[in-house]
Amino acid sequence: MALLEVKNLHKKFDATEVLMGVDLTVEKGDVVSILGPSGSGKTTLLRCINFLEKADEGDLVFGEKTYHLPKVSRDDISSIRKRTGFVFQNYNLFANKTVLHNVTLGLTSARHVHAKEAEKKALEVLRKVGMADYAGQYPSQLSGGQQQRVAIARALATDPDIIYFDEPTSALDPELTAEVLEVMRELAHEGMTMIVVTHEISFAKEVSSKVVFMADGKVVEEGTGAEFFENPKMDRTKEFLRLTKN
Amino acid sequence: MISQKTMELLISSFPKILEFGLKVTLPLAIIAFILSTVLAVLVAMVQFAEVPVLKQICRFYIWVIRGTPLLVQLMVAFYGLPLIGIHANPFVMAVIVFTINEGAYSAETMRAAMEAVPAGQLEAGYCVGMNFMQIMWHIILPQSFRTAFPSLFNALISMVKDTSLASSITVVEMFTRTKQIAGQSYNYLPLYIEVAIVYLLFCTVLTFVQKKGEKILGSYGVRK
Repeated sequence: MALLEVKNLHKKFDATEVLMGVDLTVEKGDVVSILGPSGSGKTTLLRCINFLEKADEGDLVFGEKTYHLPKVSRDDISSIRKRTGFVFQNYNLFANKTVLHNVTLGLTSARHVHAKEAEKKALEVLRKVGMADYAGQYPSQLSGGQQQRVAIARALATDPDIIYFDEPTSALDPELTAEVLEVMRELAHEGMTMIVVTHEISFAKEVSSKVVFMADGKVVEEGTGAEFFENPKMDRTKEFLRLTKN
Repeated sequence: MISQKTMELLISSFPKILEFGLKVTLPLAIIAFILSTVLAVLVAMVQFAEVPVLKQICRFYIWVIRGTPLLVQLMVAFYGLPLIGIHANPFVMAVIVFTINEGAYSAETMRAAMEAVPAGQLEAGYCVGMNFMQIMWHIILPQSFRTAFPSLFNALISMVKDTSLASSITVVEMFTRTKQIAGQSYNYLPLYIEVAIVYLLFCTVLTFVQKKGEKILGSYGVRK
């Protein structure tokens, strides 16, 4: 039984069709990389399955329950979100909260965890991403890479079944990208289930158990990491890989 | 030059003017300001959350209040409230009118400040599992309150001076008291200048409080 399944996902913004029937299966422990040119719908796909956008059509199977995406109740949305983590391209750390409170808020506020216990958990995940020494700082005092590592800690703190990464390094320079990828690599090795929308081809090659290539709102090709990069079948995939080689 | 007699009048009336400033003008302005801010937050939140029906009611409220003079609102309340069975003393009535009046303006200030919080803050809140009210309380309100603070204080400073309009519904506040003293002495101009200075004094203190308040609210680590 897959941990997460997306079936026939459609999404339009006004007249523009962004997703045209996307299917995706994620098993527990999978690291699924979603590649594709800008505008192919990768980010929208992630946002739809965490209800930041409302899908027009499609089903989501999550935790052995099936939800019809255009008509999910508020309670179901809330319970699904409580089992997932989301890491944004531009971090979106809470600007008025310290690093520590950015991480504890999901526990204390949304899950009513006792403050002391939440802090303990927060420091544990902050240590994991190498940010425990910055617990008292505000996001504005951190570099982009540090902010993104805190954002990953925030997602980790609630022990999610899966974490969605939406182009987590696109706003970072190569050096900062490396420090964030290092954290993600570690998570992958620990068996965290992840969907990563990324332009980091070499990272995708290295850690993915599955690669999905999207173009024009559709999944063009998917395969295991090795299979996808060594033996792409579709012309569109071959072209993308050729152009992104360097 | 100021004559000896005028000087004595100014000195003897200063504590009387100040007394009504501290006992009536400032409490009226500060109580109404606090209540109006609470009202403004609620009205702004209804609009920010796009609550149907309530949102239209809020827009109507803002439209009516911003479109009519404060003096007229005071008069309507003074003669109208007793007709619907509300008999409040003039001070309480003034508090109500100032609250409702300022609430409409501050609601727009608060709404603008809420809308200025990046959408990603709300999305991140949802993604860690918080509901709308939790996100409002922990994220959106603190950030928007910080943004709105200088404008809200503008409103308070305005209100300190606008309280003089409460004289029209028989509230004896600082300016009315000054008029009474001036009337008794037939020496108007010096006393009006004196009361102007007391208003200025109040507003100077409030400006200082605003600076302190901005410091306390902080800037979340942003260096200035």
